[in-house]
Amino acid sequence: MTNFNTLMRTEIVEALKEFKFIWLTLFFVILGVTQPLINKYMDIILENVGGADGITIDPNRPTPSSAEVLLSTVSGQFNQIGLIILTISFMGLIAGDRNSGMQDFILTRPVSLASYLLSKLASHWLISMFSISIGAAVSYTYTMMLFGSFSFSNFLLFLILYSFWILYVVSLTILISTFVKSPILIAVTTILISMILIIAKGFNHILFQLSPGSILTLAENQLQSMQDLNYFAILTCLFFILFNIYLANLKMKKS
Amino acid sequence: MITVEKLHKTIKKRKILCDISFSITKGECVGLLGPNGAGKTTLIKCITGILQHEQGEITFNSAPIMQHKKNIGYLSQHTDFKSWMTCEESLLFFGKLSGVDDEALRENISVVLEEVGLKDKENYKVEQLSGGMKQRLGIAQAILHQPLLLILDEPVSALDPIGRNEVKKLIARLKKRTTIIISTHILDDASEFCDRYIIIKNGMIVGNINDEFQKSDRKRILVKIENSPQAKETLSNTDFEKIEIVSYNTYLLTGVEELELKTVVNDFAQKEINTISIEFYEKGLEEIFLEMVSDT
Repeated sequence: MTNFNTLMRTEIVEALKEFKFIWLTLFFVILGVTQPLINKYMDIILENVGGADGITIDPNRPTPSSAEVLLSTVSGQFNQIGLIILTISFMGLIAGDRNSGMQDFILTRPVSLASYLLSKLASHWLISMFSISIGAAVSYTYTMMLFGSFSFSNFLLFLILYSFWILYVVSLTILISTFVKSPILIAVTTILISMILIIAKGFNHILFQLSPGSILTLAENQLQSMQDLNYFAILTCLFFILFNIYLANLKMKKS
Repeated sequence: MITVEKLHKTIKKRKILCDISFSITKGECVGLLGPNGAGKTTLIKCITGILQHEQGEITFNSAPIMQHKKNIGYLSQHTDFKSWMTCEESLLFFGKLSGVDDEALRENISVVLEEVGLKDKENYKVEQLSGGMKQRLGIAQAILHQPLLLILDEPVSALDPIGRNEVKKLIARLKKRTTIIISTHILDDASEFCDRYIIIKNGMIVGNINDEFQKSDRKRILVKIENSPQAKETLSNTDFEKIEIVSYNTYLLTGVEELELKTVVNDFAQKEINTISIEFYEKGLEEIFLEMVSDT
């Protein structure tokens, strides 16, 4: 546990020194603000940039609800651009240590592989969730101001469930890092697998229940006021997170 | 102190180490020699517990090596640290991971930085250090927890002559109090410190020679005589281990006893074979190494 704390603290301090907390948070704040602003002021934005020619905006179009705006922020902004940037930000979490020789220095000490991998998982999840939470909170505030109120408890529940998805993405990056050496390839593979899991949400309901992506549907349901709390999705996601770490552990021991 | 028995390691279906067995006693400095890709680093990674081996056993004072991680200090081939850390912070980080308590750690850091000549650089960031300094910091992290066994993987190969000299001096000092395994392909460096050499080729030990053996093995004499058909016959009746013809009138004699040499010279004189010159010649570590790892 002491080693886990030492390793995790170092990762957090490194993120602070590299200003990751600042730029990643700023990025998610921008993403969080963009969707409600676009939804509300699309016609004004188009007018001001002079690009409204040929585009017809229905003046009677229905105003989206706050739930719809929050949902499009998550599925359109956080799960696409956000996920790409997030993955790029931690693509070197194992590869960097391996390439610099730090990993060897750490693992020749009485440090278990499990505590090394779990410290990576926990620290990068914390860094990601710090930025995402602030971005989501800003988005929530803007959405409330522009589109009316939305249940805070549901928003909080969404954030908690969404954090499981982020934990899965970090664990996937760790697993891929043990097989692939190039950080760029690690990022591309992680993004591709995550995107496939996001897209596959609607394909087969029963099969999808067995996928780690089911937690994302559960999280998004909280924004649509669908109160079902499918514990199976949480367990599935946790299972895949542990499975990823177990496989990474096995791979690192062997090569 | 450390015993490796029948060690086998396969990576991606490729046999990297095959039936490796050797032991190292306390206080020895052993050179692990071999061409690139011979399996030196993999062997070191198995000894340090970074890699798991499929077969065989590695013991440290009769107990599995994994129980003795605290007693091993390791310097990897590619030494780099978190560039934002200072020298002191780096050592604090590694010391904590080694389980050294805070009070002892502060004391050790000061002593170790002094020893590696970085005392005045303790607040320098790693990114401000030269290659030689980084390597010395690497050695500092390896000896910080006062290990009984120090494993250095290519400690000087990436350094410039000044850096190499600094690190070599440091290793010479450490040799007096610690058991050391040095992996290298720079043989001159190895011959400066090592009492024994384990030579690896294609994942197998092809030579395990100590310094004494090497010294006796490398005594050779180059005898140059006037060309005579009787010379070869005279030499073939002696007890030299090996007689090589270098040129039509020059012979290289291995396993020379002084008495034997006198007899040969006398024989030559009796048969009126004129000896032009006798040159003592020593076979270097490099020559021994090349003989052992060459494919022919």
